[in-house]
Amino acid sequence: MNVSLLRVTAMASLLVIAAACGRSATSPSTPAITLVNPDSPAAYVAVTGLSADELAALSGDDLTAEQWPALLRVAVDANAPPMLGSYAVADGVLKFIPAFPLDQGRQYHVRFDPSRVPGADAATRPPLVAMVSRPALDAVPSTVVSRVYPTGDQVPENLLRMYVEFSGPMGRPSGIEHMQLLDDTGREITGAFLPLDYEFWSPDHTRFTAFLDPGRVKSGILPNEQMGRALSPGRRVTLVISSEWRDQHGLPLKEEFQRQLRVGPPDEQPLDTASWRIEAPAAARRDPLVVAFPEPLDHALLMRALGVTRDGASVEGDASVEAAETRWTFTPREPWRAGTYQVLALDILEDLAGNQIGRAFEVDNFDTVDKSPNPQDVQLPFTVRPVAGSR
Amino acid sequence: MRSLHIKLGVLVAIVVFASWSTVPAARQASRTGQGPVLASMGPLAFGPDGTLFAADNQGATIYALDLGAQASGGAAGAKGLDAVDQKLAALLGTGARDITVTDLAVHPRTRNAYVSVMRGQGAGAAPALFRIDGTGAITNVPLQSLRFQKVELPNAPPANPSARQSPRAQVVTDMAFADGRLWVAGLSNEEFSSKLRAIPYPFASVDRGTSVEIYHGNHQQLETRSPVNAFVPYTLNNQPYLLAGYTCTPLVKFPISDLKPGGKVRGTTIGEFGAGNRVLDMIVYRKGGQEFLLTANNSRGVMKIPTNPFASATPITTPVQTETGGVPFEKITSMTGIEQLDKLDDANSIVIARTSTGGINLQVVPLP
Repeated sequence: MNVSLLRVTAMASLLVIAAACGRSATSPSTPAITLVNPDSPAAYVAVTGLSADELAALSGDDLTAEQWPALLRVAVDANAPPMLGSYAVADGVLKFIPAFPLDQGRQYHVRFDPSRVPGADAATRPPLVAMVSRPALDAVPSTVVSRVYPTGDQVPENLLRMYVEFSGPMGRPSGIEHMQLLDDTGREITGAFLPLDYEFWSPDHTRFTAFLDPGRVKSGILPNEQMGRALSPGRRVTLVISSEWRDQHGLPLKEEFQRQLRVGPPDEQPLDTASWRIEAPAAARRDPLVVAFPEPLDHALLMRALGVTRDGASVEGDASVEAAETRWTFTPREPWRAGTYQVLALDILEDLAGNQIGRAFEVDNFDTVDKSPNPQDVQLPFTVRPVAGSR
Repeated sequence: MRSLHIKLGVLVAIVVFASWSTVPAARQASRTGQGPVLASMGPLAFGPDGTLFAADNQGATIYALDLGAQASGGAAGAKGLDAVDQKLAALLGTGARDITVTDLAVHPRTRNAYVSVMRGQGAGAAPALFRIDGTGAITNVPLQSLRFQKVELPNAPPANPSARQSPRAQVVTDMAFADGRLWVAGLSNEEFSSKLRAIPYPFASVDRGTSVEIYHGNHQQLETRSPVNAFVPYTLNNQPYLLAGYTCTPLVKFPISDLKPGGKVRGTTIGEFGAGNRVLDMIVYRKGGQEFLLTANNSRGVMKIPTNPFASATPITTPVQTETGGVPFEKITSMTGIEQLDKLDDANSIVIARTSTGGINLQVVPLP
């Protein structure tokens, strides 16, 4: 569905439906409803033009939780209950401060009943009604899928998860319903993703984690027996992410995302750190340390699970993941010093199929598992060579 | 596909370990105060004394909320409300599409229903808590009025603390209070492991909990790290157990008493409720002198399972050739679209049910 290209000027709309006509006998009263600071999340509704007597009456009288909204009612429509918020008389106006920021672009129905002011003359004080709103957001869809991990062309048949990164924050709901895998005939592979609708978002809502159904990933268990794995070796699949997935403003994505993947054989082997190639840097410089893996590893876990230590202390530096998640580089903040460092690999590290260091995702005998230790963190030493003039 | 002749492994290993030693002390400290600031809210669980436990997934924190005076004043019980999403959204000054009802829990004394809601989308969404009483009156429970204790869920420290952190998050899938502890099942949005945490309450008395990693010896002797979606405390032969529903969808029992740091426990799979399914909520109730487990499932509706066979149920050790197996169950076809389920009183359940038009109703449904 396309959203019309709509821009709304950054002004609060104010539609006065009925104007008050009453006047205080002792001081002028020309009440009006307005939205203060409409551009700010701190926007609030104010009734201006109240007489000094009215303001004094409101300040001095403790209205109940039921009386306040009878006096000044702010709601999403004329028939809705009053919304949550607090009331105050200050700065010469009556204020309604909403408990949550007013939505941008939403019209709020405001009703002020002067007859409810303590001591007011009900007969001559008709209610004042207005619609107020904060300026609408720019309604042009702009958020896109910026990257999907794994980034390599080929994934194992038993791929366990994908990370979808967006150019901006997305809405709360799970996005599984907007993700499809199509086979090489263009037909959807049903039930490919784990039917969990938890919000597997990063805290900033720019990365979503989609798990392929482990029931189909894992050999032998019922869904796998019935349907087989979602991916078939040697075939191509297309990941399609619908533009219907909504961003934090409720807008669809700017465009649909598609990416082809080639399916390789299953990966059922535990990670073997002995197969990693460490390219040690030279001393006295800040050249990156490079650790190359024989297979792609999980991008997110690479960013958490690898580090560098020396004499048991962490070495400060910046890490990056390259070459379709087959290389991890580490650039220290301070130049390398000659001597022995360690690459620290935490036991949470996994490859694309969920295999961990020394432990495959699938272990084919319960008793083996029962006796086996949990994965352990691994230290991989490397030596920084001295160079002329360095120590 | 592998041969169906391979023996089904039906055991669940629960490896209990104390892994918190790597957690910085500051993160272990539980704190108390008034006016909790939650980044998100839900799931919910009540303790027997009326303490409301609320998970803040975004803040990786569990709060114990003292409802104080907010627990009183309403008519006892809870009344169903059609279009409850629209009613809650109106109070929050927004539209029904812009709220998410994250959980439903019933106060153990007043039987009022408490509903946690997220208002808005994205990282800026805000939590809210409401009470619905026996007349259907909806009352906002202002969080700033509540006294609280909180405990942060430890996140394993990264290997490279100085580098840009990976945006890892933990998702609490269910909570329940049993045996003096709050049990918390959760998942990470990165590593695929299922964690069950036991946090003694009051939180102030503890600086660490027991983290239980559950290995699911699912069918055919294959160990998995399958996630627990929902669980319920249950007593079998005078021993406290947890009954846990896993993804795709074994029902597993395991004794709480065996969950000790450093130990390994084998749970037992006693039911298999079908593929492509997950348990959303579970309650235990009695009717007609018999006890039942009621489960709400995302794709297989509501199931009523007599608990009588649980103690002596034969572990599933042979291939399940059909969709389901193990302890018998009955499908409750009259309950549809159930997304949240709790026991309201001895005769009724209370549910959040999705309608065919996409809205949600709060319904009181007699226990089947």
